[in-house]
Amino acid sequence: MPIVLNGTDGITQADQFNSDSTFGFKNRIINGAMMIDQRNAGASITNDTTNTQFPVDRFGIWGQVASKYTAQQNAGSVTPPAGFTNYLGITSSSAYTPLGANDLYMVAQQIEGFNTADLNWGTANAKTVTLSFWVRSSGLTYPATFGGSLQNSAVNRSYPFAYTISAANTWEQKSITIPGDISGTWVGATNGIGIRVWFALGVGTNYSGTAGAVAGWAGADYRSVTSATNVLATNGATLYITGVQLEVGSTATSFDYRPYTTELQLCQRYFQTYGYGIGSPNEVPLGTGYYFTSVEAIVLAYFSVTMRTKPTYSSATVTNGYRYSRPGASTTINSLPYYGTSSQSIAFFGDINVPVAGSAGNAVVIIAEQPGARVNFSAEL
Amino acid sequence: MYKLMRNIYGGASNVVTRTTDGACIPFDPDNTDYQAYLKWVAEGNTPLPADTP
Repeated sequence: MPIVLNGTDGITQADQFNSDSTFGFKNRIINGAMMIDQRNAGASITNDTTNTQFPVDRFGIWGQVASKYTAQQNAGSVTPPAGFTNYLGITSSSAYTPLGANDLYMVAQQIEGFNTADLNWGTANAKTVTLSFWVRSSGLTYPATFGGSLQNSAVNRSYPFAYTISAANTWEQKSITIPGDISGTWVGATNGIGIRVWFALGVGTNYSGTAGAVAGWAGADYRSVTSATNVLATNGATLYITGVQLEVGSTATSFDYRPYTTELQLCQRYFQTYGYGIGSPNEVPLGTGYYFTSVEAIVLAYFSVTMRTKPTYSSATVTNGYRYSRPGASTTINSLPYYGTSSQSIAFFGDINVPVAGSAGNAVVIIAEQPGARVNFSAEL
Repeated sequence: MYKLMRNIYGGASNVVTRTTDGACIPFDPDNTDYQAYLKWVAEGNTPLPADTP
């Protein structure tokens, strides 16, 4: 471990900057160890076709036809790779073959521009990055080639990549080094999509291209490599993944383990949930406010973390799930109406036209009182 | 399908409800759900009107 001290460079420690203990926050992927699952608390979800779904935080799933696969944190309960406690498991729900030319069944994380702008992609100074991850598969013929890609926000710059899983039921670490794209338009330091990182489950020919390692960056919308394995072609086939890391440089270094609280807060920029059973005691106050007429109250709640943008709000419907408590009385309702605007840091709840009458000037607190009562805020990319 | 939400402060709606799941989507160009709503409108669809006071 040569350490050099001189009057020109100060202290230099050559050869050590890729060791296991250096460079925290090098990973541009959030929740790469699949620890955080605010939405499902580890429960399985089945793909649908309506909106992007998130089996764990920050990793979305897509598909053209519903119910072709399930996705779940720690699906199948196998032992994760050493150093990890969680993984994202995909399980095929049918023998879906052949794929349509436009089929797109995928897992992906969209990285925010603020977290990729320093890569200088789209310029002559574009930095090389390395994507690494652990994968495990079953139910297919091995060795098998799988695919994925990196893309820009406009999905017109693509770097398809291939990786091979050698054997069934075995965790294998993969590493793909990607030269920075010196062309195309890449979102800079904004809250838009900086880089899309796709892992293909089954991608049709119209969205499959020659691997970037062979053909370089393509000015096309490629989500995978040509002839990649269709995980969904075999009922019960699996693809498990964890330890996803995207870092500057041409070498995959040790995984960037961040404190749980830090990882959770990073996730909460994109999704937050509050409600019964999240924390202790089970009954959780959601916000406080006041009646400004006898039938209208405004209640404020501040987010744990400033969100990426004004979030989409939803409230679970639970019989008597939420209690409006005011001086001398209280009332329960089944869902929380949302009539105000939101901001990146504040949510407004109203109770107009619901039977929770008070008196102007009364203070009021909303409590998530029954199992399942929760409010969600999504500012996903 | 979407339904405009009444603005309690008066004026035009600035939130739309996604009827499939009841999600309330603010009119924020950076919100991806709002972007999906705009695409839906651009395809020739029209949201349900907001409730009246």
